[in-house]
Amino acid sequence: MNPIEVITEYWPRLLDGTIMTIKLTFLGAFIAALVSPGLALVRAYSNSFAQAPLRLYISFMRGTPILAQLFLIYYGSGQFRPILQEWGLWTFFRDPFNCALLAFALNSTAYQTEILRGGIMGVAQGEVEAARAIGMSRIKTLRRVVFPHAYRIAWPALGNEIILLMKASALASVVTVFDIMGRTRQVFSRTFDFSIYLWAAIIYLCITAMFVILWRQAELRLSPHIEPRPRPRTAMQPAKEPRA
Amino acid sequence: MTQSDIILKAENICKSFGTVEVLKGISLDARNHDVISILGSSGSGKSTFLRCLNFLETPTSGTVTIQGEEVLVRDGKPQNPRQIEKIRARLGMVFQQFNLWTHRTVLENVMEGPVQVKGVSKAEARDKADALLRRVGLQDRMEMYPSQLSGGQQQRVAIARALAMDPDVILFDEPTSALDPELVGDVLKVMQDLAAEGRTMIVVTHEMGFAREVSSEVVFLHEGRIAEQGPPDQMFNSPQTDVFKKFIATVK
Repeated sequence: MNPIEVITEYWPRLLDGTIMTIKLTFLGAFIAALVSPGLALVRAYSNSFAQAPLRLYISFMRGTPILAQLFLIYYGSGQFRPILQEWGLWTFFRDPFNCALLAFALNSTAYQTEILRGGIMGVAQGEVEAARAIGMSRIKTLRRVVFPHAYRIAWPALGNEIILLMKASALASVVTVFDIMGRTRQVFSRTFDFSIYLWAAIIYLCITAMFVILWRQAELRLSPHIEPRPRPRTAMQPAKEPRA
Repeated sequence: MTQSDIILKAENICKSFGTVEVLKGISLDARNHDVISILGSSGSGKSTFLRCLNFLETPTSGTVTIQGEEVLVRDGKPQNPRQIEKIRARLGMVFQQFNLWTHRTVLENVMEGPVQVKGVSKAEARDKADALLRRVGLQDRMEMYPSQLSGGQQQRVAIARALAMDPDVILFDEPTSALDPELVGDVLKVMQDLAAEGRTMIVVTHEMGFAREVSSEVVFLHEGRIAEQGPPDQMFNSPQTDVFKKFIATVK
């Protein structure tokens, strides 16, 4: 078989895998995005005592391989099946997709929390003070001043995290989730044609490329107040004078 | 309201940062239409005092009363966040570093307080912001972002932002100190106009000209205490204390 024949014959499986990869990645990233702002606030503002469990969680998630985390949840839940059944959670953990989704969401939450914490701490204190001084409540100050800036600062790093998560999602194939990688291995075991891996790589590349374009568009929308970079200048030319 | 009504009363304000005692008991009354200039050398506590008035810093002891309403403090914080937020909405503040919200346009900066804090409709807030920005000479800058303006323009936006709340008192924290010398005049001119129309202002400043010609009262802080206080003519023509004499001599 040549590479074209492989793809013409097996594209439905790869498409199926692609949908699964996208579902897994973006659902995981989305869940993490819902949880991380609250945790990032704790990391940025609260005292070290309140932070201790959170730091432990983040250290664990960032300090251990995501594959190990996936195994812990997937195989670990099997060990505790009677308990989980008693609590009515077994139907959730029985499905490898759910295990993978939980692992990725937990992992990404840790990273997104830290990224967003950096963004929050990068917000100009003077702008926060101005909001407080005009009579805004804490919540309103967060909503109107802190988070808009924090997300703009964190945006590129958040995009990076989602791309990394997308690639890490290939690990789900190890616990029998048929994502791109899972489908590719399935096809390879039938055809022994390595070009299917090349197609898989191309699909990953396309997803990433599209994501980067969309993310960049969103970034531009978030930054109407940030001037386009000045044209490159040589070392001999002085920096432009401040605007009059 | 009569001339003598006290709008803002600060009594025996003390503030320490750790073991450093920055304010050692300052009392000040601001009456309607007063323009009070607070002078003092660097480290005299003048900015800290101003920030204690709207509780950006909470005084270690002492009380602040705004139109008869005392700000209640417990455990080193305003006791009731709602109370201090309401009071802050009545005290405008203009910062040394302008502190405009850089992600919002000039117009949005001025509309933000009325819409978000007072619940004014957007249309109404826009009309008012428009009028205020015209007044400070920025009618052609409304759709720009703060980063596209000069320091002097940004500070005039910040003044418009404070005015949009119809404050009882406006606090100025060294409003011209971060500006290029040639831009100071525009900002001072706006402040002078505000004083002329009877706004109550408390101004921490290094501008002796402003203190002397515009203000109704001058307060000189030295090492966390009021060293000298009085009408500007008397203060500048016949300073009573050595520290103030020395201060005038150095800034001239």
